[in-house]
Amino acid sequence: MAILSDIKRRITSIQSTQKITSAMKMVSAAKLRRAQEAIEAARPYAQRMRETLEEVGSAEASHPLFEQREEIKRVGILVITSDRGLAGAYNSQVLKATEGLIAKKRRAGSEISLTIVGKKAADYFKGDRGGSVKTARPVGPKVNYVEAKQVASSLIEAFEDGEIDQVIIVHNEFLSMIAQPVKLVSLLPFVPPNDEGAEAETDQAPYEVEPDAARLLKVLVPKAVEVEVFRALLENQAGEHAARMTAMENATKNTEELIENLTLEYNRARQAAITSELVEIITGAQALE
Amino acid sequence: MSLDLIVVTPQGESFAEAVEQVVLPGAEGDFGVLENHEKFLTALKPGPVEIRLLDGTTEWAAISDGFAQVTANQVVVLVDECFKAHEIDIEHAQHTHAEAERELAELMNELNSEETRAEVESTMVRASVMIETHSRHHG
Repeated sequence: MAILSDIKRRITSIQSTQKITSAMKMVSAAKLRRAQEAIEAARPYAQRMRETLEEVGSAEASHPLFEQREEIKRVGILVITSDRGLAGAYNSQVLKATEGLIAKKRRAGSEISLTIVGKKAADYFKGDRGGSVKTARPVGPKVNYVEAKQVASSLIEAFEDGEIDQVIIVHNEFLSMIAQPVKLVSLLPFVPPNDEGAEAETDQAPYEVEPDAARLLKVLVPKAVEVEVFRALLENQAGEHAARMTAMENATKNTEELIENLTLEYNRARQAAITSELVEIITGAQALE
Repeated sequence: MSLDLIVVTPQGESFAEAVEQVVLPGAEGDFGVLENHEKFLTALKPGPVEIRLLDGTTEWAAISDGFAQVTANQVVVLVDECFKAHEIDIEHAQHTHAEAERELAELMNELNSEETRAEVESTMVRASVMIETHSRHHG
């Protein structure tokens, strides 16, 4: 009989795991919806920012952040992962891509300076795995613009001081529920939006720019960099929830399968016990005759 | 005739309405925009925005630094943040302001605190803009 209660215990334990995974799936679904809304909400701002930049950039096209340096002594890498795990291969694919990038840049003779957002990457690079970690911060429960601004401004400062000569973002892109491929985005030197298309249709009067294009650009470009970081953080946030939702859905499916198998085993064991009991009774009765 | 005012932040559009007139805190000083304004583009500094609505009432909003794009009948304001006067939690703003002031005084004596100081300063500016907007709204 011992085997019966063993199986029973395993079933109960798997059932409670199933409750957790399916609850996590529901939570991720709700969070994903909100994260997607945040991406949608940020779109008009980014769009208008790009337009403004094109407008000003066509009048004035030089800014310290546009500077392409010939010798890349040190590369800044901004790695973005989630704070928490249980999201399938979501974080490991970013970490692997980062490692690859570090190795490549090292071979090219550059030093590496890491800026990290997300506890998972912070833990991973704690040891001496890659270049020196400049700053590391968690993603937090909800991405906000102020945070993106802080990350961007510290990178901009390092770039302007000549501490780093290039900045690359490594993050997951949110394409769809099932696809969150790793994306490498070159952040600095900043490439001004291509205004070739815009120039063709500038029969309209140009904007009067105040104070002047150069000074306006000075404020505009860092903002465009901030928007880029903000976008990456938002994509990461949505991707994380999507990946976790998929992972938890699979986990729930697996528990279902396990429970089914165990229930079958349980019923067989129970049937066997009943049969052997019956056999005992019948043999006992026959012996009495 | 009227003017379309659109305020866009990274969190979404926070204002999109036809208005009579709008006064914005430009980097070079406040400026008012009425319909049929000349096309122009300027930087904004954090400050209160005065919005004269079509029904003659005036609404106030606090904005952070950013840009304004003015075309004949449209003003597009691009800022990090925008709070309408009635959304401002005045007690919270005053508290934040006092806190930031105190922190700043402490940091003044410390070396190598430029970065933190700049951060605290911007928090203080934000709070004071909110307080000012709130008082104009009620004054």
